[in-house]
Amino acid sequence: MNPRYLLLALVLILGLAPLALPPYYVTLLNYIGLYALVVLGLVLLTGVGGMTSFGQAAFVGLGAYTSAYLTTAEQLPAWLAWAGSSPWLSLLVGVILTASVALLLGALTLKLSGHYLPLGTIAWGLSLYYLFGTLESLGGHTGVSGLPSISLFGLLLDKGEKIFYLIWVILLVAIVITQNLLNSREGRAIRALKGGQLMAESMGVNTFRSKMVIFVISAVFAAISGWLYAHTQRFVNPTPFGLNMGIDYLFMALIGGVSSVWGALLGAGILTMLKQWLQDLLPHLLGNTGNYETIVFGVLIVLLMQRAPGGLWPMLVGWLPARWKMRRAAPAVDLNAAALPRRELPAHGQKILEALHVTKRFGGLVANNDMSLAVHSGEILALIGPNGAGKSTLFNQLSGVDTPTSGDVLFMGRKVNGLSSRQVAHMGLSRTFQHVKLLPEMSVLENVAIGAHLRGRQGVMAAALHLERREEAELLNEARRQLERVGLGDCLYEQAGSLALGQQRILEIARALCADPCLLLLDEPAAGLRLKEKEALGVLLSRLRSEGMAILLVEHDMDFVMGLVDRVVVMEFGQRIAQGLPEDVQKDPAVLEAYLGGVE
Amino acid sequence: MSSAMINTAMAVPAAPNVQPRNLVSDAVLEIRDLSVAYGKVEALSNASLSVGKGQIVTVIGPNGAGKTTLLSAIMGVLGSRGQVHFDGSLEGLPEVEVMVARGLGLVPEKRELFTSMSVADNLLLGAFQRHRRGERDYSATLKEVYDLFPRLWERREQLAATLSGGERQMLAVGRALMAKPKLLMLDEPSLGLAPLITREIFRIISALREQGVSILLVEQNARAALRVADYAYVLETGQIAMQGPAKQLADDPRVIEAYLGLASKHQEMLAT
Repeated sequence: MNPRYLLLALVLILGLAPLALPPYYVTLLNYIGLYALVVLGLVLLTGVGGMTSFGQAAFVGLGAYTSAYLTTAEQLPAWLAWAGSSPWLSLLVGVILTASVALLLGALTLKLSGHYLPLGTIAWGLSLYYLFGTLESLGGHTGVSGLPSISLFGLLLDKGEKIFYLIWVILLVAIVITQNLLNSREGRAIRALKGGQLMAESMGVNTFRSKMVIFVISAVFAAISGWLYAHTQRFVNPTPFGLNMGIDYLFMALIGGVSSVWGALLGAGILTMLKQWLQDLLPHLLGNTGNYETIVFGVLIVLLMQRAPGGLWPMLVGWLPARWKMRRAAPAVDLNAAALPRRELPAHGQKILEALHVTKRFGGLVANNDMSLAVHSGEILALIGPNGAGKSTLFNQLSGVDTPTSGDVLFMGRKVNGLSSRQVAHMGLSRTFQHVKLLPEMSVLENVAIGAHLRGRQGVMAAALHLERREEAELLNEARRQLERVGLGDCLYEQAGSLALGQQRILEIARALCADPCLLLLDEPAAGLRLKEKEALGVLLSRLRSEGMAILLVEHDMDFVMGLVDRVVVMEFGQRIAQGLPEDVQKDPAVLEAYLGGVE
Repeated sequence: MSSAMINTAMAVPAAPNVQPRNLVSDAVLEIRDLSVAYGKVEALSNASLSVGKGQIVTVIGPNGAGKTTLLSAIMGVLGSRGQVHFDGSLEGLPEVEVMVARGLGLVPEKRELFTSMSVADNLLLGAFQRHRRGERDYSATLKEVYDLFPRLWERREQLAATLSGGERQMLAVGRALMAKPKLLMLDEPSLGLAPLITREIFRIISALREQGVSILLVEQNARAALRVADYAYVLETGQIAMQGPAKQLADDPRVIEAYLGLASKHQEMLAT
């Protein structure tokens, strides 16, 4: 059974609904569609991107008021006169205006972290609401009336059961576009925003841009919903665009399932129906009128969040028979997809990375003191030393995650201290992390494909329309190839979080290789691996070395290190205490004393 | 691993005259036919194992074999099928809170410290169940833990987030010890630790056993683990593939081939 049939059935039922249902229910369905469009944007923003917004209702208002003003104003400025002639033209203006406002607000607020971002959205949500109410030309709190109906191919959509089709077609298209986008290279970058920003930046993802993309998309969805609303009601006033509605939209997302696209529809449907139903029922039960539905509603939300914190949609999916769910698995790999072009590796023995007198202070603590080292192509260099010696700190400075207090880091002769990890990734450095950083809910394949982010070119539009399928197939095929190379070819479609910790570390190596780097920084790659796995890793790293890759690794397994690497640098208390060939370093009394032990 | 390998590789042959190990009368932990499934995938199938009082038992095996799953199921973090006898009575389905209260401790693979709390507070939280039961003598245990890990005493006021890898592991073990467990389960205690600290950890494991704490150990340094352990199990693709006294397994050619290797002079040193 294919879920596509379910979608087909849904479309069919929707198509017949206005013919079969009384007008009251058609109106309700219209509202559900309008709300769902806004909530869809919120799913993208909050559920997928991890940015909570209370301000979506303001964007709805922006779309509604722009169109209301343009289509009803008696005298428009000459340069704008064209926009008043049809709701479709005013939609265009509304979308452009909303996108611009979103860009501006995004630039101001998206850098905020933690609870400051939601607070920021409340702030501009309130501001826009009061703006609508205060501006004389927008009718103040009385609002604007007499809006024209939308006409489509000469058909005037002046009744609920007519505009119904427009609303639901737009909603379904928006759902498909959103799903397409999430299921692409740009989509993986967006999905990495929640909990994987440091990792994504190290793979070359511009996380701020990804945030901005979903912020603008969610604002535009809201604006289109507002436009539809305005021309369905043919009247607007500020009330439905206030903070209360902004909170209701969030509720809908929570009820339906904040991270599932179809949850938006479910949440909007349930909240709308429930409100109507409670409003009718409660006065009968309690014997007098009042806003009891809000109280009952609050209780229901609390109960729901306890029973199904992920929302209702994931719960429904959980009840589906397993064979249906098989089809929901991550996109399959096309084995015939062309190989991606590769970077030309520098000549053997060339100096790739050099740290010169790098010092890093955290307040009074000197984590790295005058550290110097160099890595050449076709060489494996090990950095060893006791826990807390400053190895990971040095790694962070080499890879652009952190900036040295003094000293320089040169990559292929270019100074890179001060550059971001994204820029360093661009130049050909790829790394793994001491504490595994992956997206546990995403498939193994998609996690690794994030590593190939910089090897794709296609943008958000192409992804939304799925015009980038060839490139996408190439990226996924590359991810598969790297996974097979590291020995994880059997678990492409498993959730990354379900792998054992040692396998997750290997996954990180595949992800790093997917970037086609010329320098690999591996932070404890063999930790938690067993003998055979270590042997396989050793073989892989040797092969990469012979291909001309430069590798710098931190590792505590001395049997693994001493049998594999070309040179060793030993650190203690932030400084270098020894360096040289493995056999020499192992005999060095200072190293034995500080690290290896063996002198009693 | 094929079933043929399981049959031939049993270090303890299943002959009728040999007393099966799961009849050890003084076992602190005994599990029978324990299975765990993630959806349709069975991560652990019909595993039986026991830990005698005052014993160190180790489980070795490749990544993804189900070692962490096994510990999680015993602890009650994961749902399972089968029987878990702990300290003489049967747990239908282990529940974390109950298991902790009854004297089972787990030091998880990822340590899971309360990073925004001080070292001392982390340790005190380890005695939470004892406090709840009305025991107020845990300051004595706290002193024991500080004696065992002088470094934690030095850093008692520091936030756990600021500790180095080795200190974090010490804190995780110390926190578990605060509950005065009858059985301590250690998941990869040496993960990410430098050789000297790893040796220290192994010494501590041996010292704990001297104090009568039973230990179930999952450890990447298989050779060192077999040196400190009394008994060992090999877990492969969710099943117990081999078992036997640790010394015997350490000399078993198949174990050497698959898990110990020959050239491992550095690992050899870890358990000295």
